[in-house]
Amino acid sequence: MSDASYPTDLRYTAEHEWVKSTGEDTVRVGITSFAQEALGDVVYVSAPSIGDAVTAGDSCGEVESTKSVSDLYSPLSGEVVAVNDALDATPELVNSDPYGDGWIFEVRVSDPATIDGLMDATAYEGQLG
Amino acid sequence: MATQLTSPIHDRHVALGAKMADFGGWDMPIEYPGGGVVAEHTAVRERVGIFDVSHLGKARVSGPGAKDFVNSCLTNDLGRIAPGKAQYTMCCTETGGVVDDLIQYLRGDDDVFLIPNAANTTKVVELLTAAAPEGITVENLHRDYGVIAVQGTKSDEVLEALGLPVDHEYMSFVEVDWEGLPVIVCRTGYTGERGYEIVPAWDVTGSVWDALLAEVRAQGGMPCGLGARDTLRTEMGYPLHGNDLSLDITPVMAGAAWAVGWDKESFWGKESLAAERAAKNTRLTRGLLVTGRGIPRSHCEVKDADGNVIGEVTSGTFSPTLKQGIALALCDRSVSLGDEVVIDVRGRAIPATVTKPPFVEVGVRAN
Repeated sequence: MSDASYPTDLRYTAEHEWVKSTGEDTVRVGITSFAQEALGDVVYVSAPSIGDAVTAGDSCGEVESTKSVSDLYSPLSGEVVAVNDALDATPELVNSDPYGDGWIFEVRVSDPATIDGLMDATAYEGQLG
Repeated sequence: MATQLTSPIHDRHVALGAKMADFGGWDMPIEYPGGGVVAEHTAVRERVGIFDVSHLGKARVSGPGAKDFVNSCLTNDLGRIAPGKAQYTMCCTETGGVVDDLIQYLRGDDDVFLIPNAANTTKVVELLTAAAPEGITVENLHRDYGVIAVQGTKSDEVLEALGLPVDHEYMSFVEVDWEGLPVIVCRTGYTGERGYEIVPAWDVTGSVWDALLAEVRAQGGMPCGLGARDTLRTEMGYPLHGNDLSLDITPVMAGAAWAVGWDKESFWGKESLAAERAAKNTRLTRGLLVTGRGIPRSHCEVKDADGNVIGEVTSGTFSPTLKQGIALALCDRSVSLGDEVVIDVRGRAIPATVTKPPFVEVGVRAN
């Protein structure tokens, strides 16, 4: 949909995840408006667990809609320090508020410099075509 | 895919901004903006929804003895119903595999109308044509009619507002005229709710759709895509050809033996199916209600507590009504109702209970 929006204070990946800095070396991760729109009604989110080591570009969970399942990729390497428990009971938050209450997990990034290597909103929107 | 076929009301779906996808060679709506699978599903369960299912096939077998001819080919027994009634049936191979499952409308001894699945229509028509004796004509009318389903407790109000016939018996149909062209109104569906499948002549499908959609919205309903149709039918345990019935999954395995006229003199596959039914050694379709978190999908393995593979999911989805995963699965005969099993969903073990569908209580037959 053309009304999808991409906040300029976030960073993005080609796998349609967004990344928001929440501290010096911590980031919050979710999926973009484009991704939730393409998936349709999200009914189940399988997030990594707190303490899991995640590697940039590797699958670390799943987002399922009524009709399909998509892998969740970690945008950066590090350790999972928080997961959004609210998605257990209300996975539809990923659709209704993808950049807010629909966040999925938080990572303590091993190399904070890698955050700047991700796309900005303009670059992300550009590659959506 | 060669040429993508389109419904007579394709332009309406595009104008509504529907997400479209290929179904059996037809470009059909999956879901609509403002709806989505869950909201569209819920509209049907609680009020009413309207579906374009014009990709479904339409065919006609006519000529002296058409009824007896069809009855000697397809599984169910037309002798069980009177003209004006419809019946679920299957077209099998000689080895009992299912070429297609379809609805047959009995118009009279010399006239049977068929609604096969989109992708199987050509094959069913070919098989019937090849078997037809002198004097019997088999016509593929795929693009002579559209099909619109109105499903949900408010269906009668919707049809009544248009002056279409309502309240006829479950699985019966009435033919009427709409702007000078024929429209068949059959009390059937694929959702488990009270409702109608309306088969208008191709050229008036748009006008029938527009009038129905306005009334559906007035009744608090919405247009529904094939995504919701799939979650609705799975909640009912209705089989989908290609998933739960196929050349490898027979009516006996799929629990569809009720739609076989075992006492008929002949039908395609009778000998094989009768032998299979007597041998009682094939897997059987069971319902699986997920008790943990996760959504089973086709081809996921079903295992017992010791990790032995005891079955395979043929259809799986998220039930918007139960807010749980549900599945139909072919299981070994050792698996009983009430058993606790595990579904292997991409490496995760999801616990489930073996149940008898439907997974939800609905009022399809209510008068």
